[in-house]
Amino acid sequence: MAEAAQGPEGFLPLTPAVFHILLALADGEKHGYAIMQEVEDVTEGQVQMGPGTLYGSIKRMLAAGLIEESDDRPDPTLDDERRRYYRQTGLGRTVLRRETERMAELMALARRKHVWAGIGSRSIPT
Amino acid sequence: MSEASGRIAEHPDVSEASGRMTGGARRGRSGAPATIDLSVRIYTWFLAAYPARFRTEYGLHMAQAFRDLCRRDFQRGGFAGMLTLWARTSLDLARTTVEEHIERGLDMNREKFVRWSGWALMAGAVLFAAGLIIGSFDSYDMDPIGGVDAFYEIGQVAGLLLGHLLFVIGLLGLRTGYAGRSGSLGAGLLLLAVFGGVVSLGGLVGMSSVEAGWLAWMGGYLAVTLALAVFGIVAVRRRVFSRWNFAPILAGVGIPFLFGIGMVGVDSVSGQAPEWGAFLAVVLTSVGLILIGYRMQAEAGKIGEVAA
Repeated sequence: MAEAAQGPEGFLPLTPAVFHILLALADGEKHGYAIMQEVEDVTEGQVQMGPGTLYGSIKRMLAAGLIEESDDRPDPTLDDERRRYYRQTGLGRTVLRRETERMAELMALARRKHVWAGIGSRSIPT
Repeated sequence: MSEASGRIAEHPDVSEASGRMTGGARRGRSGAPATIDLSVRIYTWFLAAYPARFRTEYGLHMAQAFRDLCRRDFQRGGFAGMLTLWARTSLDLARTTVEEHIERGLDMNREKFVRWSGWALMAGAVLFAAGLIIGSFDSYDMDPIGGVDAFYEIGQVAGLLLGHLLFVIGLLGLRTGYAGRSGSLGAGLLLLAVFGGVVSLGGLVGMSSVEAGWLAWMGGYLAVTLALAVFGIVAVRRRVFSRWNFAPILAGVGIPFLFGIGMVGVDSVSGQAPEWGAFLAVVLTSVGLILIGYRMQAEAGKIGEVAA
């Protein structure tokens, strides 16, 4: 059902929700709650998505062809078969990579401008 | 509570709010803490606030995710944890219900506009071709409207004007519906086609009073058809339409070809150029536009999904 609406550049910049969902799916397919948990864990609780935000974003990402539903189950005996699993598409992977590159360029610019000293530092004291 | 919300609430995923909890809270019939059962039920009632299509597609999964969150937060923080979850979830519900309704409304408007503009493009193509062809029977081409050939003249003016107006609406709908999936080149070409259509319509309206009107009409029309022809190549490569991606080429190639060989415009249709060449160009253009219009109204429902 997914249909690519535009080229990868047309999706940038990504909203925080879409970026985190794509990032959560970078290492394999997950169901909705697992995505929410992963986002919360990797951001140390700074990003907490509610079900409305999650499934609203999932709906748009499916329509844009960034993710797709998966029929595979990691282990059917361990999980509820009624859950829907999602995975990145090729376009989703490309968009995530481009967004990450875009952010890296911004961070490099911030370093050159002495706004930010790098990983582990919050900002350069003025 | 709506029927759909009721079904979600009755679903085993939702109503069995986990028997795996080990806390000391009072348990419901399913073995889950009553607080979780109640929370999930209330949440499913709130789901009725979402648009029906969204709720039908995702309501069950949202309730399931909320149940999982309840279990986790109850385990972590008891009632205080549940209160914090509800505070967060209320904000999420309030924000996303509004978002989904706005998006649904926009999609519906877009969908309707693209569908109707598809019909406009088809009707415009027929009227425009009819105007040109009727005008070709006008044997006194440059005389004022009236007299023995009044039928041909009025038919030509009415067909061209109304056809052109519908044609511009159709092009606007084409850009609205398909720019997003046509890439930057395709979107630019569709914008050029709309702009050319407006210039051409202006020229047609002002033709009788402004000398440059004729030039604007033909220049605008040439821009429209050229833009459509090149857009057709983009459409074939990117599969912009689900079928008949060659249609814009068909719509755009005839008139520039006539211009290219020096058999230009209305005069060519009315007799100075080979009749068959001009007739073929008009028929090709019209058939192409009708095919595009047909695809637009047939695919309008999918446009909302893609645009999302």
